[in-house]
Amino acid sequence: MGTEKIHKLREKANWIRQRVLEMITNAGKGHIGGAFSCADILAVLYYGDVLRFQAANPDWVDRDRFILSKGHSSAALYVILSDLGYFPSAELNNFQKENCILGAHPGLKVPGIEADSGSLGHGLGIGAGLALNAKLDKKEYLTFVLMGDGECCEGSVWEAAMFASRQKLNNLIGIVDKNGLCSTDFLENCVKMESFEQRWETFGWDTVAVDGHSFEELIPVFSQTRSRESEKPLMIIANTTKGKGVSFMEGKPEWHHSVPNQEQFELAKKELNRE
Amino acid sequence: MTNSNIDIRDAFFDEIYNLAKADPRVILLVADMGAFSLVKFKKDFPSQFINVGIAEQNMVSVAAGLALAGRKVFIYTIIPFITQRCYEQVKIDLCSMNLPVTILGVGPGLTYGNDGPTHHGTQDIAIMRALPEITILNPSDAIMAAASINISYKNSGPTYIRIDKGKIPEIYNQESDFQDGLAELKDGGDLTIIATGIMTHQALKAAQELNNRGLSTGVVDLYRIKPLNKEKLLKIIDNSKRLVTLEENSIVGGIGSAISEFLTDNGKIIPLKRIALPDTHCFESGDRNSLLAFYNLNIDGIIKTILN
Repeated sequence: MGTEKIHKLREKANWIRQRVLEMITNAGKGHIGGAFSCADILAVLYYGDVLRFQAANPDWVDRDRFILSKGHSSAALYVILSDLGYFPSAELNNFQKENCILGAHPGLKVPGIEADSGSLGHGLGIGAGLALNAKLDKKEYLTFVLMGDGECCEGSVWEAAMFASRQKLNNLIGIVDKNGLCSTDFLENCVKMESFEQRWETFGWDTVAVDGHSFEELIPVFSQTRSRESEKPLMIIANTTKGKGVSFMEGKPEWHHSVPNQEQFELAKKELNRE
Repeated sequence: MTNSNIDIRDAFFDEIYNLAKADPRVILLVADMGAFSLVKFKKDFPSQFINVGIAEQNMVSVAAGLALAGRKVFIYTIIPFITQRCYEQVKIDLCSMNLPVTILGVGPGLTYGNDGPTHHGTQDIAIMRALPEITILNPSDAIMAAASINISYKNSGPTYIRIDKGKIPEIYNQESDFQDGLAELKDGGDLTIIATGIMTHQALKAAQELNNRGLSTGVVDLYRIKPLNKEKLLKIIDNSKRLVTLEENSIVGGIGSAISEFLTDNGKIIPLKRIALPDTHCFESGDRNSLLAFYNLNIDGIIKTILN
């Protein structure tokens, strides 16, 4: 694993966070905490030679499918998709504004988006359908689904989990951005979260837990997704920090949906610039 | 009318069988639900049939994934489970993304009479009608059942089809065309009954009796509940003195509501009587026919309500 690659990805993830900070401050609304917690994961997927895609041809039949099931983290994905050329970067300045294709939650009208999301607990089932299609058609594409740990309170996630393992969808890779927070509280104050990794194993998945902000850990796990020999789907549990990168946002429930004021914006920008 | 030799439910699945044979991209998902004709389907097309288990939400989401990848998907189970249990998945994964998935809900109204409110399909028209992209079909005989499968197969968006059970007399023939969304089965100068699904048969019988009693009664089979055929409906309304809607569905939000909204939106002033199930859950014990009688949806009850 090249240190240069790691350095580049780290810079990219930091740049994504800066753009997200600008977008959400500019819009006066948005979900900054969750976008920051998954920025490193998204950077590895899109810039780390993991996902196969053709930005100029979003409907390329053999592309890998990526579903942002935790749709409220859309800002981070929009930054990446525009950077890759799916749509003009200028559109980011209109995030959540009138006549802009970039809503708070992603939908099919945005080039590069594979499914409508925003209501939690849908993505893994849709991903299972896409993965099943690849099996039936003997296609090589992989399907990745990024969820939140709060999202895993939804029963539909576990319906999909049981289905995917029964169908031996080893071409389905789930990722849980496990930041320990839901919208208003710490997750452990709402539900029992112990043995989370083992639960997926019990449901018939291969699992691996990584530091979701360590490129040294993320890169090898993702780079092996295409060469797995297991019959099981894979769940990557990425332990993350909500609001990662800005000290006063990190691990704070209120930064799920808060918008920085001017002073906070400057402070956050300074911290991200230092990275 | 001749009695059909085929169970209406089998008519649906035999047609899906034909489609699956011709088009390998047709796939049928069921949530632990069977039917006689499915045995053959499963045997002949094992890779085009999946029982996802008792997991309706996941069935809808998986269907969406398969449809996003270009497959023609049919999903099947009992009405309340495939409409209400997973309503949000239907709304987002199928309707919002406008995907060609056909939702097959078996057991309209009080079909599962003895099973109680958990299994009654009495609110589905109301909630499914609220979804913008969906087409809703409520076939009244086996010929239309088969045709409705073909209509949904050709539809580029989602379709909801209410599936009845049992051998039901045939109203239509092989030459019948179901593009209009409604059929004027009987002319009548005094009164027009707009019925849907199995209630169309009750309407025809009631109309016969009313005609015998000197009240000229027409019957319209409103088999496509959404979208309504505006042009044809306006013509029917303009040629009627009074309207009655007849359905085996809650009075709240069914075709009675749809027609009254239609009248309001089109500035039509005409007497309308809505005959449907009351706004209550049914805890009475009994089979479908006895419960229909209990709620005055048998022939005598319908005639009495109309004459009152």
